[in-house]
Amino acid sequence: MDMTLICPGDASEVPALARKRPLVLAPFLGRTVLEHALTALAESGMKNIRILASDHPEDLRSLVGRGEAWGMTVQVVPSSPRTCDEHNPASSAEPILILDHLAQLPQLPLWQSYRGWYAAQQALLPALARRRVGMREIALGSFVGLRSQVAPNARLLGPCWIGEGVWIGSQAVIGPGTVIEDGSYIDEGAEIAGSIVGPRTYLGAFTELRDSFAWGSDLLHLDTGSLTEVGDRFLLGEVQTQRGLLGCLVQAVRGICAAASSPQRGPGPASLSGAGVRLEPMPQN
Amino acid sequence: MKTQYEAKTLTLSDIQELNAVNSAAFRDAARAALKEGLTTLDIDLSQTRLVDSSGLGALIALHKTMCARGGAVRILHPNPMVQQVMELTRLHRVFEIVKT
Repeated sequence: MDMTLICPGDASEVPALARKRPLVLAPFLGRTVLEHALTALAESGMKNIRILASDHPEDLRSLVGRGEAWGMTVQVVPSSPRTCDEHNPASSAEPILILDHLAQLPQLPLWQSYRGWYAAQQALLPALARRRVGMREIALGSFVGLRSQVAPNARLLGPCWIGEGVWIGSQAVIGPGTVIEDGSYIDEGAEIAGSIVGPRTYLGAFTELRDSFAWGSDLLHLDTGSLTEVGDRFLLGEVQTQRGLLGCLVQAVRGICAAASSPQRGPGPASLSGAGVRLEPMPQN
Repeated sequence: MKTQYEAKTLTLSDIQELNAVNSAAFRDAARAALKEGLTTLDIDLSQTRLVDSSGLGALIALHKTMCARGGAVRILHPNPMVQQVMELTRLHRVFEIVKT
């Protein structure tokens, strides 16, 4: 069965969500809104999806590919904002879905306010957490994903979602109503409530995040819509990969250990070098 | 920066930024403007577009100075972005903040 999926181009009510990437690629409980929509369509039996996108269609294409991950054929078609915003489903022969809400939540529009986007995540949090592979409920309403570490004296107050590869420091207080996306690092003593921490975001020690969306150095208040870019990385910023001399040394040790355990593998053409040591690139997850 | 005295209150205003470049000068100028008998230091941040950790440090230093004199610091009319940074760092629990 065929379906046309229209990605809204109008982000006038939630401009901060479309500041750096298309609206439908906003994070939503471990994935993007678009990925959740495609999953729902695949489960409803759709086989061929045509995505109309006016905002950076190449970004959508690189994420969904040809739809292999969903067992469907997906085609991303660039279109004008006018086409996307004024397409009339009633006048079309094939089924059309406008991605302004998720199929599981037809009553909750995603893009009319930041609160709407947040409320949709809160509504789906328990159901999606129980479906996500490797996610466990370690306290009432508190779900933690694979490879995440929570300090023993950190407090989790459900409902909260802690994604994959997240680090929660000692005496941190997480929740209620909090989502921490994959790869984020919450330093000791930080307190979060009613907020969303975007993917690969560092939140500094003893900071407090309430009713906000923090992603990288961007800090958005969910009620006022006020957006500020925090300049101090020890307060809020993107999680950094290991670089510099220390990073080289750590990778050197890892490379030596890897070479010792598998001597038949030599450094390939894409290997890194530093401090007189040639290393194999670290495997990407 | 403008200074205005009224009874036992000193008000500082017309502060464009509080960052690593000017926060030490702001702190020193504010301390120099403090006269005997002042009990309240009002810092008007309505014109302030940016406050970073250095600026917050200057505000804390003035807070400690006023506490040692038995007085207090009030933050007047911070814009929403400055307010967000103060909440992130929990300084909204330290200062009395008078919103617009």
